[in-house]
Amino acid sequence: MHRRHSFVLVLAALAIATAPDAVCAQEKAASPEQVRFFETSIRPLLVDRCQKCHGPKKQKAELRLDSRASILKGGESGPAAVPGYPDKSLLIKAVRHVSDKLKIPDGKKLSGREIADLTRWVQMGLPYPETLAAPKADPKNWWAFQSPRRPEVPKVKDSAWPQTALDHFILAKLEAKGLKPAPAADRRTLIRRATFDLIGLPPTPAELDAFVKDTSANAFAKVVDRLLASPHYGERWGRHWLDVARYADSNGLDENVAFGNAWRYRDYVVKAFNDDLPFDQFVLEQLAGDLLETKDVAVRQRRLIATGFLSLGPKVIAEVDEKKMEMDIVDEQIDTVGRAFMGLTLGCARCHDHKFDPIPLADYYGLAGIFRSTKTMDHFKKIARWHEHPLASATDPAIKAAHASEIAKQKAVIDELARKPTEETKATLKRLRDELAKLEKSGPTIPTAMGVADGVVVDAAIHPRGNHLKIGKAVPRHVPVLLALEHAPAFDAKTSGRLELGRWLVQPDHPLTSRVMVNRIWRWHFGDGIVRSTDNFGTLGELPSDQALLDWLAHRFTLPSPLGGEGSGVRGDGAWSIKAMHRLIMLSSTYQMSATADAKTKEADPENRLHGRANVRRLEAEAIRDTLLAVGGVLDRSMGGSMLHVKNRDYLFDHTSKDTTSYDSRRRSLYLPVIRNHLYDVFQLFDYPDPATPSGDRATTTVAPQALFLMNSDWTMKICDHLAESLLKQTGLDDVGRVRRLYVEAYGRDATDAEAAKAIALVREVDLAIQKREPNLDRRRLLAWSALCQVVVSANEFVYVQ
Amino acid sequence: MSYPTLHSRREMLRQSAVGFGSLALASLLAEDGVRAQPSLDPLAPRPAHHAPRAKRIIFMFMKGGPSHVDTFDYKPLLQRDHGRPYPFDRPRVTFASTGNLLGSPWRFRRHGASGAWVSSLFPNVARCVDDLCFVHSLHGTNAAHGGAVMKLHTGADNFVRPSIGSWVTYGLGSENRNLPGFVSICPTLAHGGVNNWGSAFLPAVYQGTPLGNASIPAVEARVRYIRNDRLPTDVQRLQLDRLLEMNRDHQAHSGAEPSLEARINSFELAFRMQREMPEVEDLSGESQATLNLYGFNDPVTANFGRQCLLARRFAERGVRFIQCTHSDPLVQWDQHGNLRQGHEAKAREVDLPIAGLLTDLKARGLLEDTLVWWGGEFGRTPTVEGGGMDGRDHNPEGFTHWLAGGGVKGGFHYGATDDYGWHAEQDPVHIHDMHATILHLLGLDHERLTYRYGGRDFRLTDVRGNVVEALLA
Repeated sequence: MHRRHSFVLVLAALAIATAPDAVCAQEKAASPEQVRFFETSIRPLLVDRCQKCHGPKKQKAELRLDSRASILKGGESGPAAVPGYPDKSLLIKAVRHVSDKLKIPDGKKLSGREIADLTRWVQMGLPYPETLAAPKADPKNWWAFQSPRRPEVPKVKDSAWPQTALDHFILAKLEAKGLKPAPAADRRTLIRRATFDLIGLPPTPAELDAFVKDTSANAFAKVVDRLLASPHYGERWGRHWLDVARYADSNGLDENVAFGNAWRYRDYVVKAFNDDLPFDQFVLEQLAGDLLETKDVAVRQRRLIATGFLSLGPKVIAEVDEKKMEMDIVDEQIDTVGRAFMGLTLGCARCHDHKFDPIPLADYYGLAGIFRSTKTMDHFKKIARWHEHPLASATDPAIKAAHASEIAKQKAVIDELARKPTEETKATLKRLRDELAKLEKSGPTIPTAMGVADGVVVDAAIHPRGNHLKIGKAVPRHVPVLLALEHAPAFDAKTSGRLELGRWLVQPDHPLTSRVMVNRIWRWHFGDGIVRSTDNFGTLGELPSDQALLDWLAHRFTLPSPLGGEGSGVRGDGAWSIKAMHRLIMLSSTYQMSATADAKTKEADPENRLHGRANVRRLEAEAIRDTLLAVGGVLDRSMGGSMLHVKNRDYLFDHTSKDTTSYDSRRRSLYLPVIRNHLYDVFQLFDYPDPATPSGDRATTTVAPQALFLMNSDWTMKICDHLAESLLKQTGLDDVGRVRRLYVEAYGRDATDAEAAKAIALVREVDLAIQKREPNLDRRRLLAWSALCQVVVSANEFVYVQ
Repeated sequence: MSYPTLHSRREMLRQSAVGFGSLALASLLAEDGVRAQPSLDPLAPRPAHHAPRAKRIIFMFMKGGPSHVDTFDYKPLLQRDHGRPYPFDRPRVTFASTGNLLGSPWRFRRHGASGAWVSSLFPNVARCVDDLCFVHSLHGTNAAHGGAVMKLHTGADNFVRPSIGSWVTYGLGSENRNLPGFVSICPTLAHGGVNNWGSAFLPAVYQGTPLGNASIPAVEARVRYIRNDRLPTDVQRLQLDRLLEMNRDHQAHSGAEPSLEARINSFELAFRMQREMPEVEDLSGESQATLNLYGFNDPVTANFGRQCLLARRFAERGVRFIQCTHSDPLVQWDQHGNLRQGHEAKAREVDLPIAGLLTDLKARGLLEDTLVWWGGEFGRTPTVEGGGMDGRDHNPEGFTHWLAGGGVKGGFHYGATDDYGWHAEQDPVHIHDMHATILHLLGLDHERLTYRYGGRDFRLTDVRGNVVEALLA
């Protein structure tokens, strides 16, 4: 009962807090959710059911219901609504038909849902956007379509707090609201945050200890550098990029066949992050690696692998309409390039001019020409075959030639014998034929990688309404006119144009590329982007919480030459270095704040858009699994390679629905096969993104099946057994010591005396409860400790990082 | 101990309230007589757009494409002209090449007061025709299994989109707070797989919960991780009590976070769910007569019979969208060859259980507000495939589905294919129209059931779909 009341209190408080909050909210601007709600549920209702009598033509009872102002002004009976207070609003009373005087005179009573919607709208404070979220201004003037300019670093009152220029932006905004940043996080919290953040694993007890004891001024900078130099860094941050690249090891969609060589792209991404490959290079290699000149074979192969980015998308490969398949694949590529690099939903313009962003139909087909001139598929006959680049080493051709000549020799011998077959040669012939079959099978295979090459260069014809059977006029290949600014590239008549597209994207003053990427980096550090809609910078995306900060970061990111100075890394700022961006962010006071804010800051900024405190963040699917393995002492840290159990192009699922994929591995989650349409269920439970679409922003949902997994899965229990075993093996420790050890491993801190006592009590209780089921003393002890470990790793403190 | 205050509803919604966790919160409040705000609980029952004719739906999906011209779409001319060429234009693209017309090897007879033609493949369903509402002019856009299965389940065949079950759960919420709102029994993992019960960009709480998959017999189909074979319930209770205490301490340290609160509740709900799910699966309370009605007494019908009986038990408990899938591990209804044997065997497995489910639902008064939907991803061609004499190719151009119960006319036939059964000719009904009609029956307006994602509002029916008013009772 006690617990129940606590929930009531929470909700009662919530209800009280909501109304005034909502009123204030409207004075700002309607949020995107409010706009959506209004446009889908309220505006149609007002138009259909209210405005015939209370609109521009008629004003029964002197009342108009076609603007916020007219509703607030009301009619004969007074204001029609009180924002935030449905129960005090005549409009709500009228539609509820609470009294005969107030009910709508003619027409049907509104449905329950319609009444609920209106009530919710009044509760929200009557957000009444003027028009359907259409940009009021010309999209040409939209902030994200202008080149970022270097903003002035703002002045602040408290000059002691900022450690970097970045902090000035944050502090200035807080000070303007009369707020203060949270105090600095303690060292244990900070190293735990930084370690999860950069390598996706918890700090070891030794690393914790070293940092806590390090009194030097640059102690944290040393931690950051150590983590950035770790090969695990690329595994963690490469995975972030793989979300954007909609990486998967299978096609998914209609025919789920294996992308048996996709892993080469995955390993390429991990290495690119570990090597701090400049982002402009990274973009170019993924779009046009095959077109970049180099004599270095290794570099050449790396770049061929990089073009896998364009090939990894899900394809309807049994589509019987070949023309449709081709255009669907081109569409997927345009959409992915748009979202990944520019944060734009270009796919919308396949059928019509983009309704909200300045992308006319012609611009879409200007891009489509580039990808139609690109060879992604070897053929479109079902089952269609995607292209792969051979990755021949210098000696491969010679070995292959030798093998071929051996086969030819054997064939000649057989042909000779077969010309005049006799009883004696029959047996010999059979033996020779068997040998030949074996020889043919055993041939050296040259490794291949998914990727694209240039095809026949064409300009694409517009397909009106996206219908590939309707052919409109052809448009020359070009980049979106409005975004081109003064840099519109000329397209070569002999090549697809991917290289020109890539070079245009990585112009330092491209309005979107650098902004979108620094915003992604910010999102992956803090949990929210400066622009929260990380994949949509168009007019329907969210506005930046601080455009000056975003532009300042974008400007630093693209500075042409290394500056040195900040941090102590290999390179200085700029030069599109992602590692430099990490240092810039992590060595700021902003990054190093604690998660506890004073009440005033929380009240004023509940969503923490101003960064007055650190966000409490739940670990992602991979980090939860990797951490469990690491804490259980069984993580296999080997890197790279394929874990797919079927051959390239073979079916993962055919008609049989048999799931033969194995996830029984102790390697890092990054290396487990990513099967579209059938993700590893543990990943799926914990909000792994859909690998069919690019995504820079993972959701964090909390659902009961996650709890079921932690409570009941063999996997969890096995890990906990390992953990329990490792604790029980520590003969030098008593039970209290074991609990302390467990807490350090799991939470990065010591257990208090009370916690230790309660933990030991739980072990005893469980031991007692399972006495009958498990007579073996040692086994029972293990189960009881394992049960404790299960509680410890299920707790919020384990999966949330401060 | 003091408890945190939540500062903003939006904060709570954005960060956490997308799970059973908040459901528990809402239900606790409801028990205390406090009305929770509906928007706080994503699975709370929500009022429909208009008065619903059905409260829930059972979809019996026949994977592989059952032949309409051999089951429910009688074509006398096909019998007459067996072996002759198809006299009309063929579709621009087909999956395989086909030869001349192939008359149905099965005899058709009229059944019921409505006089519906049904072939000898479905003798038991034939007894129920006066409750069935046939759509003979359904058509889709995709001639391959993958695209067609996805189109049927998600309304899209070239993108990953939320499944119809997810849309329905998103639109209406769930009536049982201890069970998922959308379950799929033994779904196929091929041809779209999880996308067919996935929520795509809708919040995860609306995705279907699978019980087993098509390669597992129904008797072994379970929700993942629902059982713990190691620890008895009282030990789990001890663990959860300690967990709760630790989480409270942690929260007292770290301050108010709605996401932490939601996670605490999710464990309590999981505990309740693991108690309720076995109750659904425990058939010991069913009479032998009921079990026989579903075909439990015959190994051929027992498997799909169990799916159908489970469907009724979920329906009784307020689960909103229930899907059964008939899909053996080999070729299912996909008889490019071996039509006689294949269809005979498939029909035997499902005919009695389907009739059993309809009869049972009706006897219990459940058919009135339960919509039953039967069909495959496409039908089959009236022409013979390849050079053989015993197979048919995929046919998305015209085929038959039927509906029963909640708000549709019984003993009713709508639309028609051409004289031989290839193209939907009279009153064609596209898959989008079928979706719009089903949503309408459930009280949802397909044009208003939208979700904004990546900058635009999405619908199950995209920019298409018309409610087929003629089907409504």
